[in-house]
Parts: sequence; structure tokens; C-alpha cells
Amino acid sequence: MGVARMLRDAGMEVVYLGRFNMPGDIAKAALEEGADVVGLSCHSWEYLHYLDPLLAALREHDVDAPIVVGGSVVTASDARAIQSRGVAAAFGPTAESAEIVATIERLARGATK
Amino acid sequence: MTERRTHSRIPLKPVYGPGDLEGWSSAERLGDPGAFPYTRGARAHPEERGGWIQRELSGEGDPARSNAQFKYLLSKGQMGLDVIGDTPTMACLDPDHPYAEHAVGTQGVSLCCLDDYRELYRDLPLDRITLSHSLQPAFAIAGLYCVARERGVSPAVLRGSVLQVPFYCEDTGYALHMPFELRLRLAVDSIAFCSEEMPRFHSFLEDTYYISDGGLDAVEEMALGFVEIRGIVRALLERGVAIDSFAPRIAILVNCRMDFFEEIAKIRATRRLFARMMRDEFGARDPRSLAVNVAAHTSGLSLTAQQPVNNVVRGTTQALALALAGAQAIEVSTFDEAFRIPSPEAHLVGLRTQQVIQLESGVTRVADPLGGSYFVESLTDTMERRIEARVLEIEAAGEPAHLCETGWFRRIFQEAMERHTRELADGTLRKVGVNVHGIPEDEDVLLREVAEEKIEPFRGRIDAIRAHRMRRDAGRVTAALRSLHTCASDRNANLMRDIVAATELGATMGEMAGVLRMAYGRPADPFGRVGDPI
Repeated sequence: MGVARMLRDAGMEVVYLGRFNMPGDIAKAALEEGADVVGLSCHSWEYLHYLDPLLAALREHDVDAPIVVGGSVVTASDARAIQSRGVAAAFGPTAESAEIVATIERLARGATK
Repeated sequence: MTERRTHSRIPLKPVYGPGDLEGWSSAERLGDPGAFPYTRGARAHPEERGGWIQRELSGEGDPARSNAQFKYLLSKGQMGLDVIGDTPTMACLDPDHPYAEHAVGTQGVSLCCLDDYRELYRDLPLDRITLSHSLQPAFAIAGLYCVARERGVSPAVLRGSVLQVPFYCEDTGYALHMPFELRLRLAVDSIAFCSEEMPRFHSFLEDTYYISDGGLDAVEEMALGFVEIRGIVRALLERGVAIDSFAPRIAILVNCRMDFFEEIAKIRATRRLFARMMRDEFGARDPRSLAVNVAAHTSGLSLTAQQPVNNVVRGTTQALALALAGAQAIEVSTFDEAFRIPSPEAHLVGLRTQQVIQLESGVTRVADPLGGSYFVESLTDTMERRIEARVLEIEAAGEPAHLCETGWFRRIFQEAMERHTRELADGTLRKVGVNVHGIPEDEDVLLREVAEEKIEPFRGRIDAIRAHRMRRDAGRVTAALRSLHTCASDRNANLMRDIVAATELGATMGEMAGVLRMAYGRPADPFGRVGDPI
């Protein structure tokens, strides 16, 4: 939620889905909202198991928005590993706010081109 | 120059002196340790009773793995246990629920039926150690109660605690997906049950740790804690349970952040506020009803992923504050907390931190060593006034049920979280290794290997619980669940006898929670993925 506020403060529109969403729900919401970027907040390792189903669900719904993952448990090696699986950007606990905002802005611009 | 103030924004002077305690009476504000108003501690001679209970929060994987973890910690000198469930267990989801698949046992222990509790407590001397439970109370009590009876241990001798979190659990991480009325009833029923069956067990542990570690300050933490304590006490009194039959078994598990003196003052103020409230407002007469047991968990939020070894220093500083404040049980958040649930190495460091403080530093030789300090007494008074004022403000805002259901409390938690993020970003809150004294990532290697190791989900539990469902006497389980449903529909009945009966027959926590939700007009499965249990 801190991130949602940060992005709103930077002038972005944020649709926060709350906790406990499954890949299918996220893909559906991304389609309905016309999301430019899909962001996942994760504080346990479960996200590692849900990434592939999420990528598949987004493809199935014809959503080509890039995925950004952020959370305290994302280590540098995790970030590299998931980027190779198709995640556009990943932020761990050391990420700076400005870096997060700039990356998401860049990805969103790419998506709306 | 930076403004001089505490973490909860209490302005401070550069130095304190006699003028700050003018008109202050030690007889009225302090008393003696172990005597009203208990500012100086709940016990007169805490060291003679072996000091505080040293323990580390534990639980991971399946019950057998957690049992091995307990034995490891006990063999290293731990004095009691505190067990926490994995995410599905905390949400009353069984391991075979589709949402649980990747989370079984990764953030705590997976528990859902009586066999699990049998395995969890295997070979442990239930009558000789304190068993604290960071679990859903009614079900954890039923599990412990049944195992104790099977093993010939009278439930009346069991010591330990279980946390009661009916007000804020939906907003801060332990969401049960139950309406307020049902959550409060589970608290009231389990406390009333224990006041008769398990009178030495602290069945009413107010947990202000988990509500505050998203970013609440110390004043907000205790104000919300007192609001919940008062709400549950009122509900118990309305039920006709006598105050002195349960108040001696109220305890508070508080947070401990890095603001050293503020946290000490908070604990001292809390004991005094509690004593006055119990005596003057709720009419308690038993001295044990006035002396609240304060346990503490050091703040996970204060720890950092950067330079994890610094977290050992943070844990030490916080544990020292708690020792000086007279906390009766301490758990140190481990150095790897920013990444994972504790590794054995980190658990041992947490436990050794406490042992070194107690056995080597000498800080516990006298009770309340800071008592009478101009600064500490002044800050204790200010904390007390601010907490009390905030309690009254919250209670004036409306009925707790209404405030819960309308998201009034949730906003407080959200704002605190946002404030914490902002203060870290703008440097108001200084954090070594984060916004000051950082080091390049390639130099930040000490303890990192331990911290970053991952625990795989215990998916074997999924098949195990399915096999359990096939093995048990389905007809009797269904009958017991129907009886629980009938009981729940009578709003004046106590649910615990039916929960115990269903537990004994092998019903799972997910089934019992589902039946209770149904009795309150909610779907059995909040996520609509599994069928109704009856």
C-alpha cells in the first residue's frame, strides 16, 4: 500500500486489488481496467510459484502489460531469476522509491505506445 | 538541528531534572515492584522466579518438524515455547485448500486437526513448560486441551497463552473472514472456557505486536490494544463471567522498537493504566487481576535486509530495553527476519542474546532499575496520558463492531504504514544500512547465505490431510459439525464444548471455521473454492 501511495503521488492511476488474489483474478482485473503495468506485492515466497500461472493467465486474456514484482523477500538473485522467466522488473528491499517510480513510468509509456 | 522528539512524536528536552517531577508522588505513581499500581513490575522479586521467560517464536513445516525445532530450542536453554501457524493455518484454511498449496509450512507450522497437535507436542513436558500459541485461539485451545487429557495431564495445570485478536485481525494480517460478532464470540467463549478448565493458562493474550508492526507508533499500539482489551472485558462481563475469574489471566504481548526509553516508558505506563482500569473501572479485587503480565516480541519492522548482522545489534538493544522494563517473557526477532522465518542459527543467536543479557550484564539484579529517573518517570507519565486520551478518543468514535466493519481501524493501519514508508524514504526515521551508512551490495555478504535460504512448501501435508479425511468416521464428524452449527446459531451458548468434541472426532479447523461462518450467514469458504462441510 505504501507503494500504491507512492505511485499515486507520482501522478499514476493505481487500482489496488487488495490481498489474496489468484493469477486468474489478476489477469481479469488487468483486462477490465486496461492496465499498462501489473504490479505484484509479495512478502512470502509464494509468488515464485504463481508467476508462471500468472504469465499464462495474462496471455490467455490477451493482456500484454509488463509484470513488476516488489517485496521484502525478493533478493538480487531472485530478481535475476524471475526476470529471465518474463518479469519486466523486480524490486527487493533495497530499492529506492525514485527507481521504482521511474521504472514503472518507463514500462507504462512502453505499454501505451 | 533535528527536532528532539520520540518515535511517537513526544517532544523531549535536552535534559531532565527535579523540576520535571514537581508534585509527583512516588507512592501514587510508582509504589513498590509487585504492588499497585505495578508501574515497577508485576512481581516483587522477578529474579527469584528465574527472571523472564526466554523463548523464540517458532514453528515451520509440518508438526513433526516443528516439534524437532522446539526440542532443539529447549535443549539450548529456552524456557517456554511460542508457536505460530503458517499463513493458511492463521486464516483457518486446511492444507488441502487450493489457496494453501504453495504456503504450507513456509511461514509457520501447518496445523489443522488433533493428530497435528499430538505430533506438535510429542514428548514435551506439557505440565512443566509454558506453551504460548500465536494461533487462532479457540482451535488451539481445543487441540492443547485434548492432547493434555489424552496424556493424563490435567488441563488445570497447563501454563502458557493464546492470543486473542478479534478486533483487528481482518485488517492486519490474520484475516479469518468472519464477521466481528463471531470473532468476538470466539474470544469470549474460549476465555470463559479456560477460566473454568485451564485456570493457569493465559487465554487472553492481547497481542499489540502484530497490529503495530506495520508502522504504528507506541502510543497508537497501546491505545488500540487497550480498546480491544476493554471491548473483550465488557463482552465477558455481559456474558456473566466474573472479572476476577479471568482478569488474572490477561497478558499483553507488546512490540519493542528501537526507541529505547519510549519502549520502556510504554511498558511501565501500560502496567499502571491496566491496574487502574481493572480496579476503578471494572471493579477487580484480586491483586492478580491488576498486575498484568507483559511479554514482548522485538520489532521485525525495525530489522533490515541490508547488512543483516546489524539486526543482531538491534535485537540486543531491544532485549535490553525489555529487561530494564521488567518484561516477563521476551522473544527476539531474528537477524534473518527480513527474508524468512528463523533459521536455527538465527534462533540460537536470539536466545543467546537474552541469556547474555540476563546472565552476564547484571541489569536484572534489582527490580525496575530505572525507577525514579527524572526522564523515565516523566516520559512514563506522558505515555500514560497520551495512551489514555487516545483510548477515549477511539471509544468516542463509535462502537468497535461499527468501526471494524466500516474500515475505520483499517485506515489507522494504512496511514501508519504509509507514514513509515515516507519517513524511511525522507530520512526522518534513520536506519543504518538503509538511508545512512549503506554499503555496496557486493560487500554486503555477512550472514547473507543463511538469511536467503528458502523453505520449500510442505506439500506432503496436502495428501496427508486428504488421507486423514478418508480415515476418520465421516458420519460422526458430520454429526459433530452439525451440532457445532446448531450451537453457533444460539448466540448465548458457549462454542467450546462443541469445538472440543468435533476436534476429538477428527474434524479439521477449516471445517469448523466453515460451519461457524455458515451459522453467521457467510459462505463456509471465503474464497469459494471448496464445498460446504455440512
